[in-house]
Amino acid sequence: MSERPAPTRVVVLGGGTAGWMSAAGLAKLLGPLVTVTLVESEDIGIVGVGEATLPHIRGFVERLGIDEAEFMRATHATYKLGIDFRDFGRIGDSYVHPFGTFGEEAAGVPFHHYWLELQRRGMAEDLGHYSLAVSAALASKFRPPTADGSLTSTYGYAYQFDATLFGPFLREHATKNRGVERIEGKVVEVRQDPESGDVTTLVLESGREIAGDLFVDCSGFRSLLLGSTLGERWEDWSPWLPCDRAAALPCAHISEDFAPVTSAIAMPAGWRWRIPLQHRMGNGYVFSSQFISEDEACAVISDAVDGELLAEPRVLRFRAGRRSKSWNRNVIAVGLSSGFLEPLESTSLYLSQMAITYLIELFPVGGQIDARDRDEFNRLVDMEYDRVRDFLILHFHATERDDSEFWNHVRTMQVPDTLAEKMTLWRETGRIEKYSDGLFYDASWIAVYLGQGVWPQRHDPRTRLPAPEQIARALARLREAMIEEVAAMPGHREFLTANVQRLAAAP
Amino acid sequence: MSEARELPQRIVVAGDGPLGVLAAIALRKALPRTEVIVIAIPPDPAAFAERIGTALPFTNRLHDRLGIEEAALVRQAGASHRLVMRYFGGGGPGQAGAAGYGASIDPAMKTAFAREWGGGPRNAETGAPPRSLGEVLAAAGRFAPPSGEAEAPLAELDYALRWNVPAYRDLLIQIAQRLGVQHERAVITGVVPDGAGGIAALAMDSGAQIAADLYVDCSGSGAVLLDQLPEHRWLDGRGTFHARGLAIAALAGPMLALEDRATWTPLGWRWELAGRDGLQALLAVPGGASDEAIAAALGSEPAAIVPFAPGRLDAAWLGNVVGLGSSVAELEPLGGIAQDLAHRQLALLLELLPGRTVDPAERAEFNRRSALMADRAADWIAAHYAAPAPTARFPSLNLSPDLSRTLDQFIRRGRVPFAEETPMLVQEFGTLLQAIGVPQGEGPMAAAGEGSGEAAARAFEERARAALNAAPPYAEWMQRAVA
Ligand SMILES: Cc1cc2nc3c(=O)[nH]c(=O)nc-3n(C[C@H](O)[C@H](O)[C@H](O)COP(=O)(O)OP(=O)(O)OC[C@H]3O[C@@H](n4cnc5c(N)ncnc54)[C@H](O)[C@@H]3O)c2cc1C
Repeated sequence: MSERPAPTRVVVLGGGTAGWMSAAGLAKLLGPLVTVTLVESEDIGIVGVGEATLPHIRGFVERLGIDEAEFMRATHATYKLGIDFRDFGRIGDSYVHPFGTFGEEAAGVPFHHYWLELQRRGMAEDLGHYSLAVSAALASKFRPPTADGSLTSTYGYAYQFDATLFGPFLREHATKNRGVERIEGKVVEVRQDPESGDVTTLVLESGREIAGDLFVDCSGFRSLLLGSTLGERWEDWSPWLPCDRAAALPCAHISEDFAPVTSAIAMPAGWRWRIPLQHRMGNGYVFSSQFISEDEACAVISDAVDGELLAEPRVLRFRAGRRSKSWNRNVIAVGLSSGFLEPLESTSLYLSQMAITYLIELFPVGGQIDARDRDEFNRLVDMEYDRVRDFLILHFHATERDDSEFWNHVRTMQVPDTLAEKMTLWRETGRIEKYSDGLFYDASWIAVYLGQGVWPQRHDPRTRLPAPEQIARALARLREAMIEEVAAMPGHREFLTANVQRLAAAP
Repeated sequence: MSEARELPQRIVVAGDGPLGVLAAIALRKALPRTEVIVIAIPPDPAAFAERIGTALPFTNRLHDRLGIEEAALVRQAGASHRLVMRYFGGGGPGQAGAAGYGASIDPAMKTAFAREWGGGPRNAETGAPPRSLGEVLAAAGRFAPPSGEAEAPLAELDYALRWNVPAYRDLLIQIAQRLGVQHERAVITGVVPDGAGGIAALAMDSGAQIAADLYVDCSGSGAVLLDQLPEHRWLDGRGTFHARGLAIAALAGPMLALEDRATWTPLGWRWELAGRDGLQALLAVPGGASDEAIAAALGSEPAAIVPFAPGRLDAAWLGNVVGLGSSVAELEPLGGIAQDLAHRQLALLLELLPGRTVDPAERAEFNRRSALMADRAADWIAAHYAAPAPTARFPSLNLSPDLSRTLDQFIRRGRVPFAEETPMLVQEFGTLLQAIGVPQGEGPMAAAGEGSGEAAARAFEERARAALNAAPPYAEWMQRAVA
């Protein structure tokens, strides 16, 4: 091991989820290489609506050395097996995009080709019936997967939690266990080195100055360092993703027996989420202000939710897109300050986590930033954003809905070439363009394509080889095995309560 | 509503070398109702890839899938196991290191980091130790294949096979015959174009024509089918590789070795392939090398010097003709990479198997991925020439942007970035670079002392001891296997 340089002074601006994830992650994994200071302002507050997550978050929590039950109790978390989409392809349609696969490949041919063959003959059940994650979700059951390669290892899980509690939970952890210093105060001035343009100091309203070597910009939509100070260019994706507002409001549960899924329900000018937490249901209408006013949207969401309202709707404003480079000079943006993609696939916290992971891998030990590491970081972050973007656009574009201006717009818009190519390959052959980096592999694309009525014209010729009855028997066996597994699983609520350590006290 | 595509009625494979026969087996197994005809091609003197009987671990998996049993390869095709490639002199005189196979050659903590945290599932700081179970066993001359049980002492072991080419081909032919693959001995004299960039039929010297739905060109660097197509475009790789020929010599009789060796010579890497059928030396020679220099570097008079033009086809699949192996990409075969590439392309064809008619989108996807595979395999070879000693000798070779990035990240940070369709795991790439003497930088987590340390070293030692106990001397194992 080489001699350790003096610790790099990392200043994190912002105490939202992204800020505290960054501070905790950097302090834990880079330990002696860094000192971490976080500045946040109670006046400004946080967005705090990131409630649904992806399975990757589990690794993050684990790696910080945090106990799962403790974390679930602190954030009122529930389990999540996927997202239940309603009314997207057509009004009345529904499907679950699971954290898991559909069936098994046979003779080198992916499962969904056999399913398409049976479906054509009217011999197949719903595609989701051949996914254990979907089957369990629809039955409101939950048990963690195994790792033994059997049917019970064909899915993963994530959490739904109260985003206003996750940040504070990490703050507690980071300041108590990881030596992160927290400074309360509003940044009113950012000083830069006149020659290099690097950020050198943040000046607070109180006059206090905070100097640093590396600045992690977690200031949210303001993007105070990367956007306002350094003027990093914004790439606007709103022509493809026109939603630019959300009206969020919590309500009470109408039943204790909620399914381990996030729901996404298409609406005339966007869509709305339903996210079950231990004590309440999170709701929000994500809409495009081109097509509906804020007041109307608030009225619509207040009407749409089923439980007793626990607050007035709160409107949040945003734009879809990302900064051209997330790392410029000595500023690295993590979270909303680097870009925004609507929460349709619960990707925001993942994107923060991913940026933190890459920042740790490419961290400038000793404080000297090498342009090549910065380029590498930006290459990886862009790739992740772009892949998520295409997948989100698909959800809007793949529709037959013509009942509103919003849906007419997204149905008929021109999509990015990268997505158009993927869709052509699927339509002509039932195949998925393959990559191993980034998010969303085969099963995710298949779930959305078939769930939203994008049918291939043709599927693999090898599905002609076995007799249809033979395929049907194999699928029936699989289905039976799934029914048995699901029957043996405890209910979601039952599993949550089985370990009281996971449960938060009633509010 | 989706329709199943029509099954191809006939597929013609041009070339009855091991790759052609293997492709025919794979196609016939995948499409048992389709006629599969393998057409003999006069042996291509330049098809050196097919003279070299070895590949990488991927091929073992492909063989398994096609019902070509390792036990049969050991009994009938002279197969032996390579656990590591030992490199000498890449970092200068006296430098040596070994590179093995599999994900476990990385200290678990560091790859687990990227895996668990998401964001680049395969990106990882390598920081690989100069040790792996494969290396320990190779040094001790002990081996047994993993039993398949997850917790067994040899479970994490991975290896490549070597085999005797004629015996391997005979074994494949037996299997192909059993499966009903047909063999055509008449010679192709021309192709009848189909007007859509592909082939309608092959004209044979017998006067007959053979028509098929799909043509697979396994004819080696001659590319007898692809060469006839108007869209055929060769991307010259000579700026990246100095090699213009491959010198081959038989050095010694049968060997039973768990490692191969590669030594840096002033002309290029000399690879000693230690087969049960004898020890061969192979040397990539630059243009203009003198006979004396070649003999000196090879350690023997060459039995043959096969000319060689590095590069690849812009698109490996044109019309209804898809090429595999050296008909679409030529690269130095060092360590079995050329066969590995051919076999990956074959697996890709199985994945994207067309119906009676070829779909343009599917062909484009094949070409995209096949090109990535070829480029990443070329990077793997080029990496060998990026070691300190070769760089001093050949300073002006171009590096692809991907390889430049990998080398830069490795040298400064000990990190190997993930690349799509790469033949190597990041851990394997990292150990290769260590073994050939590329200096490795330290990543931030290693610098912070995260996940390193004595506990991991002790755990490894324990696994190594258990593995040594579980594996008999290789000769003993072999004797039992062939009995
Ligand atoms: C409608 C909606 C729904 C969402 N749903 C999901 C979801 O389901 N799943 C998911 O993963 N993500 C979701 N997200 C995204 C998620 O909310 C964010 O990624 C996450 O909250 C991170 O936000 P942040 O920390 O970057 O910003 P913020 O929460 O805005 O935090 C900004 C911080 O910067 C500080 N700050 C700003 N300016 C100054 C200043 N001048 N001086 C001092 N401090 C300052 C603030 O005090 C605050 O602490 C959603 C977002 C929206 C808008």
